[in-house]
Amino acid sequence: MGAFDLDILLGTLSPDVLMIVFIGVLIGIIVGAIPGLNGAIGISLLLPLTFAMDPQNGILLLGGIYMGGMYGGSITAILLNVPGDVVAAPAAMEGYPLTKQGRAKEALYYSIFSSMVGGFLGVLTLILFTPPLANLALMFGPAEMFFISLSGLVVIGAIAGNNVYKSIFAALLGLFISTIGVDMAAGAERFTFEAMTLRQGINLIPIVLGLFCFAEMFLNIGKKSNEVMTYKDQSIKRMTVIKDVIKHKFLVVKSSLIGTFIGILPGVGTTLAVFMAYGESKRTSKRRDQFEKGNTEGIMAAESANNATVGSSMVPLLALGVPGSPTTAIIAGALIIHGIVLGPSLFEQRPDVAYTFLYGMLLTVVAMGVIGAFGIKYFSYILKVRQEFIVPTVLIFALFGAYSIRNSLFDVLIAIIIGLFGVIFKKTGVPLAPVIIGVVLGPLIERNLTRAMTIAEAQNVPLIQYMLTNPLSIALLGFVILLLVIVLKMRKKDFGA
Amino acid sequence: MKKVIGLSSVALLGFLAACGDNNDDAVNDNNGAADNNGNTNEVNDVDNNDNNNDMNNDMDDDNDMNNDDNNNDMNDDDGETAEADPDYPEQPIEIIVPYSAGGGGDTVSRILSDAMSDELGEQVNVVNREGAGGEIGIAEMANAEPDGYTLGVFGYPDNFVLENTTDTDFTFDSFEYIASFDDVPHALFTSPGSGLETTEDVIEYAEENPGELTIGESGALGLLKVLAFEDEAGIDVSPVNYDGGGDLVNDLLGDHIDVASSSITAAPEITDSGGTPIGYAAAERLDMFDDYPTFEEQDLDLNMGVRRVVVAPEETPDEIIQALSNAMDQLGESEELEQAFSDAELPYEYLDYEELNDYLDEQNETLQPIIDENEDDF
Repeated sequence: MGAFDLDILLGTLSPDVLMIVFIGVLIGIIVGAIPGLNGAIGISLLLPLTFAMDPQNGILLLGGIYMGGMYGGSITAILLNVPGDVVAAPAAMEGYPLTKQGRAKEALYYSIFSSMVGGFLGVLTLILFTPPLANLALMFGPAEMFFISLSGLVVIGAIAGNNVYKSIFAALLGLFISTIGVDMAAGAERFTFEAMTLRQGINLIPIVLGLFCFAEMFLNIGKKSNEVMTYKDQSIKRMTVIKDVIKHKFLVVKSSLIGTFIGILPGVGTTLAVFMAYGESKRTSKRRDQFEKGNTEGIMAAESANNATVGSSMVPLLALGVPGSPTTAIIAGALIIHGIVLGPSLFEQRPDVAYTFLYGMLLTVVAMGVIGAFGIKYFSYILKVRQEFIVPTVLIFALFGAYSIRNSLFDVLIAIIIGLFGVIFKKTGVPLAPVIIGVVLGPLIERNLTRAMTIAEAQNVPLIQYMLTNPLSIALLGFVILLLVIVLKMRKKDFGA
Repeated sequence: MKKVIGLSSVALLGFLAACGDNNDDAVNDNNGAADNNGNTNEVNDVDNNDNNNDMNNDMDDDNDMNNDDNNNDMNDDDGETAEADPDYPEQPIEIIVPYSAGGGGDTVSRILSDAMSDELGEQVNVVNREGAGGEIGIAEMANAEPDGYTLGVFGYPDNFVLENTTDTDFTFDSFEYIASFDDVPHALFTSPGSGLETTEDVIEYAEENPGELTIGESGALGLLKVLAFEDEAGIDVSPVNYDGGGDLVNDLLGDHIDVASSSITAAPEITDSGGTPIGYAAAERLDMFDDYPTFEEQDLDLNMGVRRVVVAPEETPDEIIQALSNAMDQLGESEELEQAFSDAELPYEYLDYEELNDYLDEQNETLQPIIDENEDDF
């Protein structure tokens, strides 16, 4: 890259660009905060609007929603224990216990400031290192993707509680759910019972909504407000939290880097990044016994990691034209309709679009910080609302969210059924996060393994040999084994078995 | 700070309102003017036009023309029996797209819904119903009320291949095929490190190393395209299935597979990163993709591609089909529409009702034997 254009930089600071960034981030935070909606839904809703805009402003609007949405989910996760998206799940696991202790505002401040650090580092990486990182992404073929996805399963061990069997059950259940549907490689139908609706498989979002939203709300029905949470006008200064975040600079930067690197890989993306950073923070924390009881380090790690993926998931999109996630695929659509060719030549042929977008993304981090830091006081007013109003409102949004992914009532049904299972899991202490990790990683592990098998067969080499032909895949296998050893040691120390 | 709260609640309300209207803000925005045009043949008043962007203004001009024509005898020239229903449409129209937002099929339907809103004088909304390679959405179109208010846009031959390879709720005849605006030819790309530069190289390599060449494919048509290439070139390759175009291109550019089977519209991005388009399935070179060779030039008879078709459920009244077909003919003459397609790098080629149905019959005959011969592979 290297080309630094002052005109474009100044252009980015023009009032209309600033306004677009601000509006985008605000919409993103709102759709992210509403249980059941997320940044991807916000982006697909506003996609048609960008057709009439200049391409750089259009994608900046969408980029703002992406950035804001990644943060917004944490607000309701922390306050109501209903993460609308997988990426906010750790924020709920650590933040909601704090809310119950009357420390909601503190948790929200931790969330916004670490989100800012993560978002900033992610975008900075995008600006400075796009070409080399894009080449790194290309090195990840079927074998490499298989190993990295496998490492995600190992991470479950780190975040699991004292009953390992319950976690294993949860992970296996997630993997099982992911097998439902038509297997695209062989065309075989699995667990579809000849029903067309099951052939498309079970979408991730209804599962997330079911486990996190519906289950929580079902459990809250009939409870008195003060049993669930209390509103306290906690007198915590922003500076106190900022100082603590700075004190944990190593943790925040490390988590941001985990988010950045994993975010680059197409398909694996955010979920793995968030849980890996969260698990890593648990490993290194001195207050490990505080996890799931309100550990601010967990919030910092997960929140910086998820916002870091915003910038880095655009690396393959801008550099190669390869969208790494559903969200970036929609952003790609917004550019394609304007006839903008993504790939290395983007920076030469349309530097106006490319650089305005890159610098503008930095502004989205600023806008997110401003809205977040000043809005937190008002966000926490949600806690004053009586439970009788919260439960139906959240349920309605969640129903709407489940429907809106594919405009399908079937998805709503799935969300409700999974919600009922979620209630049982919560009552019996089965952890929910491993289910989600299983659902996300199952297809990645399976599809990449079948691809590796096909290619190995074509090349007439044994599968093992193909999987370990290049240094990167050997290194990744080493990483999986190392991770396994670390997790086992950690568990032995904590639980003695 | 009160302002932030105020703004958020306004944005929230606006957002919810937008959701209620089937996910399409742009259409809402354009519709003020179109509503007035539609059924009454009134001349647009100036105020309405001011609110629209350039494209809409031009469309409105066409619209005036069309509304005058609709009552004349132009239908008779088409040689079709039914008269166009003069009252259609009286309410908003929904277009089901069986693919997710952001992809090629989605882009086509959004461009069309915009133009159709102006042409028909009623709001036309796009609804994405993706899943199972298009099967979910296509089945829903087939089962929709045949009243002309639920239409569909999908890529032919997705429906034909699905129908022949899986147990679907629809058949080819579940639809009235009204018009088509673009034809995207199938193309093959070789990876940067494969050393294969031409179709000849690929065939030669595959002949010397039977079964060793890996060709990545994705989507309902992916495998069919690879099998057709195998048959035509008389070679044996290993197809590798991918979930979507993104994964596929990533593995091609990273040299994890030798060849990718995709459409020619992916050429600019792939060429940019070092991949080579070795050929595409068109009778002759398209202006848009002038730099790349066709299969025809290389003596391969591979005429396959994706045509986005506008369809209605089969029992839709002839009068409505006729009205839609007339509207499509008007759009087929719109230079703005053609421009919108070429801006999005979609090879534009308008086929009217009769041309499209002839084309589809011919394509079905070409595809059927390929599917039958390779039944075991699906």
